[in-house]
Amino acid sequence: MSVDIQLAPVIHFEPGAQSFKPSRGGNLAASALRAGSLLAFVAILFVFSLTAPYFLSVGNIGNVLGQSAISGILAIGLTVVLIAGGSNVVTGGIDLSLAANMGLSAAVYATTVQLGYGDAAAVAAALVTGFLIGVVNAAAVVGAGIVPLLATLAVMNIVAGLELVLTQNTVIPASTPLLTALSSSGPLGIPALAYVLLVFTLIAAAIVQYTPAGLRLYAVGEFPDAARAAGLPVRRLVASAFIASGLCGGFAGVLSVSNLSGSTTGSGEMLLPVVVTALLGSVFSRRLVPTVIGTLLSTLFVGFLVNGFQLLNISSVLVSGVQGLLILLVVSATTLLRRQEA
Amino acid sequence: MTQEKPAQGVGRRDLLKLSAVAGAAIAGASLIGNRTAAAAEELSLKGKRIAISATGTDHFFDLQAYNAQIEEVKRLGGEPIAVDAGRNDGKLVSQLQTLIAQKPDAIVQILGTLSVIDPWLKKARDAGIPVLTVDVGSTHSINNTTSDNWGIGKDLALQLVSDIGGEGNIVVFNGFYGVTPCAIRYDQLVNVVKYFPKVKILEPELRDVIPNTVQDAFTQITALLNKYPEKGLIKAIWSAWDIPQLGATQAVAAAGRNEIRTYGVDGSPEVLQLVADPNSPAGADVAQQPAEIGRTAIQNVAKLLAGQTLPRETYVHALIANKANVNEVTKKLGIG
Repeated sequence: MSVDIQLAPVIHFEPGAQSFKPSRGGNLAASALRAGSLLAFVAILFVFSLTAPYFLSVGNIGNVLGQSAISGILAIGLTVVLIAGGSNVVTGGIDLSLAANMGLSAAVYATTVQLGYGDAAAVAAALVTGFLIGVVNAAAVVGAGIVPLLATLAVMNIVAGLELVLTQNTVIPASTPLLTALSSSGPLGIPALAYVLLVFTLIAAAIVQYTPAGLRLYAVGEFPDAARAAGLPVRRLVASAFIASGLCGGFAGVLSVSNLSGSTTGSGEMLLPVVVTALLGSVFSRRLVPTVIGTLLSTLFVGFLVNGFQLLNISSVLVSGVQGLLILLVVSATTLLRRQEA
Repeated sequence: MTQEKPAQGVGRRDLLKLSAVAGAAIAGASLIGNRTAAAAEELSLKGKRIAISATGTDHFFDLQAYNAQIEEVKRLGGEPIAVDAGRNDGKLVSQLQTLIAQKPDAIVQILGTLSVIDPWLKKARDAGIPVLTVDVGSTHSINNTTSDNWGIGKDLALQLVSDIGGEGNIVVFNGFYGVTPCAIRYDQLVNVVKYFPKVKILEPELRDVIPNTVQDAFTQITALLNKYPEKGLIKAIWSAWDIPQLGATQAVAAAGRNEIRTYGVDGSPEVLQLVADPNSPAGADVAQQPAEIGRTAIQNVAKLLAGQTLPRETYVHALIANKANVNEVTKKLGIG
């Protein structure tokens, strides 16, 4: 989990170095935390299924999956950056431009459609937008050597500004065959977006968790010096992580247009929930590191929480508070564990 | 049978006379008031789950309509399922999706960008859930309760044109043309201005934003006043609602350009206070009656579920508050 807020130079702090010789207590506590978070997830599902009407219906579960698609894909993009950038929140990997990226890509998609182009051109334009934002991030972080937190913050502002210029802060409606297909229901009456999320997660998980390239990303993030010594192209790998994240932003933009029948304002509000989801994802992994499946689980966890609260007719105002509380618990638990290991 | 009829007729007439006497005897209450109260009492939502979906409640209008709806559902014996999207379209769509899965007896949607909510209102109708709206003219809504926005737009435009003596430049905030009531009010302004050739809408039009509406309007107007430093170049500032008007009024006052008048819609208490202040640049604010609109929408739901046919639109009267009559209006709204 990338939560050690440590301002000391990296030389004095070798993140993850301890996991080669973990103490037994730390290991136990880690597995307890992992099991605990999964248990908490299951317990919450259980409580909701008993108390909230319709919670366990196929339609409702499909709804939650579909509603989680956009934030889930953004969070998975961020997870890739977290993996490659390392586990320090301040100096490690982060991509704050993701939500703005989604907003601009959505605006580009909707504008392209408004200009009379078809779906293929619009999808290409949105993905190229996301790709370019990823390239700028990569250039700022790897090329110019700016800390990702600041580099992507700056890019976020540029991108949000471009979106304002393009849309004049108005809603741009869009309706195409692809958008209609994405916003309709697929087999079993489950939203198409739910299937998109599952397929996307499977592909991303296959690449990140089960290919040599994915393993190298972890190596670069956890032991940059060792990775460099082993002859890995560290800079290229980190750059590619930012580009992958940018592409996720572009893809999420397309989905957002389908969900909202156009491009709308306020995409920036997605940022914090996405960051929170990606960070929370670590507690759903075996070694308490960012993983694609862990991020999917944490996205669904947050999604079910919001959904269950609505079904129980509890004010949505409480949801963000509960979310914050959960994050705080998770962050403190993992921080304490890391300290114990050290 | 035929013999009974006259007797019945007499009885009914007597009853009518009695009720008329009783009605007149109640001090301070008009007959019309009694009649609507009696009609409302017959309505019931007992055992019904009524979904109330608000785009946001950060603005006086939404909050009043939203709270009044929740109260009215409870008063009529129903169970409200109230969700507030906090002006986030993604959240609004998710909440509507979940509401459709919850299968309430009716959904009432308060405001919202039409292109965003329309597909989901259609899905609700397809799922057999009646959809009613407040201030959104969707084709998928059975009934839309709203102020008469044509009247509002016309009243405000005529007040503005008359205040500036039928000539001069006006600055316009037009950031929410996608929101139906705002579009109607704007179109009415354009319609009125068309017949006053000496009145010009300054280009480019300004875009009001959400959130930070007040601060943003303040910044934009301050910049514009610097661009047009000469007094008299700008006569008035118009916005389709009164939160940009609030920021604009503050900016005009701060720049000492009190010759400029500001105009807006909604009757937010803080703006009405400014209109009431003789030294403030706030010229007029058309006050809607949001709580009354909210209650009316819920009463429409009850009527619909009782099998009555609803009109396409139900209009609730709006009151224009200008420097001369603002105190009467605030008294009428009960926020004075």
